[in-house]
Amino acid sequence: MFDILKSLCCIDGISGDEQNVREYIISQIKDCCEYKVDNIGNIIVFKKGKKRPFKKLMLDAHMDEVGFIITGIDDNGFLKFTNIGSIETAVMLSRHVLINGKINGVIGSKPIHLTHGEESKKLPKADTLYIDIGAKSKEDAEKYVRLGDSAVMVSDYTDNGEVIMSKALDDRIGCAVLIKMLKEYNEYDFYASFSVQEEIGLRGAKVSAYAIDPDSAIVIEGTTAGDIAGTPENKSVCNLNKGAVVSFMDRATLYDKEYYNLALNSKLKVQPKRAATGGNDAGSVHLSKKGVKTLSVSAPCRYIHSQSSVVSKSDIKAVYDLVLYMSDLILSKGV
Amino acid sequence: MDIKTLLCELSSRVSVGNISEADDYAAEYLSKYAKTYKSDNGAVIATLKGKSDYTLMLDAHIDEVAFVVTGVDGDGFVTVNTCGGIDIRTLPAKSVTIHSKQKVTGVFCSIPPHLSPEDTDFEHITDFKIDSMLQSKAKEIISVGDFVTFNTKPYELLNGRLSGKSFDDRAGCTVLLELAKRLSKKELPFNVTFVLSDMEELGLRGAKTASYEVSPDEAIAIDVSFGDAPDVSSDDCGKLSNRATIRTSPVLDKAVTNKLFDIAKQNSIPYQSEVMGRSTGTNSDIISVNKSGVKTGLVSIPIRNMHTDNEVIDVADIESVCDLLEKYILSRGVMNV
Repeated sequence: MFDILKSLCCIDGISGDEQNVREYIISQIKDCCEYKVDNIGNIIVFKKGKKRPFKKLMLDAHMDEVGFIITGIDDNGFLKFTNIGSIETAVMLSRHVLINGKINGVIGSKPIHLTHGEESKKLPKADTLYIDIGAKSKEDAEKYVRLGDSAVMVSDYTDNGEVIMSKALDDRIGCAVLIKMLKEYNEYDFYASFSVQEEIGLRGAKVSAYAIDPDSAIVIEGTTAGDIAGTPENKSVCNLNKGAVVSFMDRATLYDKEYYNLALNSKLKVQPKRAATGGNDAGSVHLSKKGVKTLSVSAPCRYIHSQSSVVSKSDIKAVYDLVLYMSDLILSKGV
Repeated sequence: MDIKTLLCELSSRVSVGNISEADDYAAEYLSKYAKTYKSDNGAVIATLKGKSDYTLMLDAHIDEVAFVVTGVDGDGFVTVNTCGGIDIRTLPAKSVTIHSKQKVTGVFCSIPPHLSPEDTDFEHITDFKIDSMLQSKAKEIISVGDFVTFNTKPYELLNGRLSGKSFDDRAGCTVLLELAKRLSKKELPFNVTFVLSDMEELGLRGAKTASYEVSPDEAIAIDVSFGDAPDVSSDDCGKLSNRATIRTSPVLDKAVTNKLFDIAKQNSIPYQSEVMGRSTGTNSDIISVNKSGVKTGLVSIPIRNMHTDNEVIDVADIESVCDLLEKYILSRGVMNV
């Protein structure tokens, strides 16, 4: 699973431009299930099991990551851009970016020697930032970049044995867990969606949930861990190395209480998300058609939406274990 | 080895405090061409003998902006202080290497939005933590006093431009290494001593002791200067790709500066000029007041995003500095002035 996760994280695929992630996932699952790519790019998967389930279950993970889209080129060949998904300005300054998977650029930042007073304490406005690709003029830049091109922040995938640091862990973790489920779980039939466009409004899963029409769903995610030195317990949301995170509520969903309780009582390594913040594909899935009983299972992820997100491998294993446990319960018992 | 490769080799390595990867690399390179040693004061010093006792010293600093560990907690979080001027606003989520008993990859913590008010001030480096990703094991491995550096590897932009860390002043070091190679094949009018000095980012300290040790008659410092960018006033910067920047300042010797301009014009070496009404903030400030005084010049290379881990440089600008100084030296500098 971790080899697949590494491959997934090293692929660039911002919202609306998930093509390369999709091709990789298809290469991994094509021999173990039936799949089709729908009209907006989701991979809709049916995995045939040994038995017919009591309930129709959909597992969801989103393929897209946060990044940038090029919106302009100035006379000197510097690129203007806007973010795709939420990215804090502080994690953009002086970063290496890659445009269309091949053109290197750097988000510039004024030398500290030339910043004075308040300016040196406040972040610049995001719309004053620019990408420098080394172009000498607008015409020069236009030879390599078009408006609407995609960019991501570059990161070195780091694995120190216990902890991984990379871009795009949100939500390639979910994709890796889902690929493992598809390869290894053979008891009951179930459905899966590798969804597009989560980061810009939970859009892909809206369509895939409509098409699959499930009774129940599990959304597999990465979620903000605020357990950084100096943060009080009541603000840290969840902790690295304390297992899979289950949510009772976030900004998009009031979760099914039965599933939440079953997950917490599973005797597996599980922690509740201690805040009603954020949102994920569950927001779209649980309101699909007449409504879907939905659980979200996440890996705690520090510095999420940056090029250096940090997750624990033991937590990713715990996410897999809990997804497997809850899926089997839903499919075999019809909870 | 071409100039670009040399710069990338130097940029990929580290030089701060007791970590001397870049120094070792440079010393090995220089020793192929010149008599080279590492001084007790931290400088790498190499000399090519010439026909007279007159000595010209070329200086570039090899140290880089970095951090030093000030504390480690039981959950693997590390506090640091800066070694040199670093814009702390650029640090959240940046990956770093902690040079401990073993090299540790860490990351500057980025506070999630729900914990940081919209308009947070970035005041002190002491407000930052580095996540060593080692949890409780961090205390066994990381010690107070360990150095921490950025770990960007250089990468290519368009038009022969590169981005990476510590081009300030590995670009200058590259000039020295290239010149040692070029000049080793020539008959020199005087001794040329190449000094890769330490601790510039802490206040021009290494060049103070190194220039005392070398005791030159004449010196030229090679450092970087601000390059043009959308958020930098054109009054504050030179232009990337406009080649060698010959600097003029009250602390610099008029004869040296004038000769640099003359050599550039006579040999059609493209150059730009930058004038300052004060000291330069480079090693030339301290070298010029060594012992009873040294005639000192300053040539610089424009870079963007100075003191970040993604500085931007044009390799051709470095090459033009090499061309300029090679001609300057072969035409005897200001030895007879």
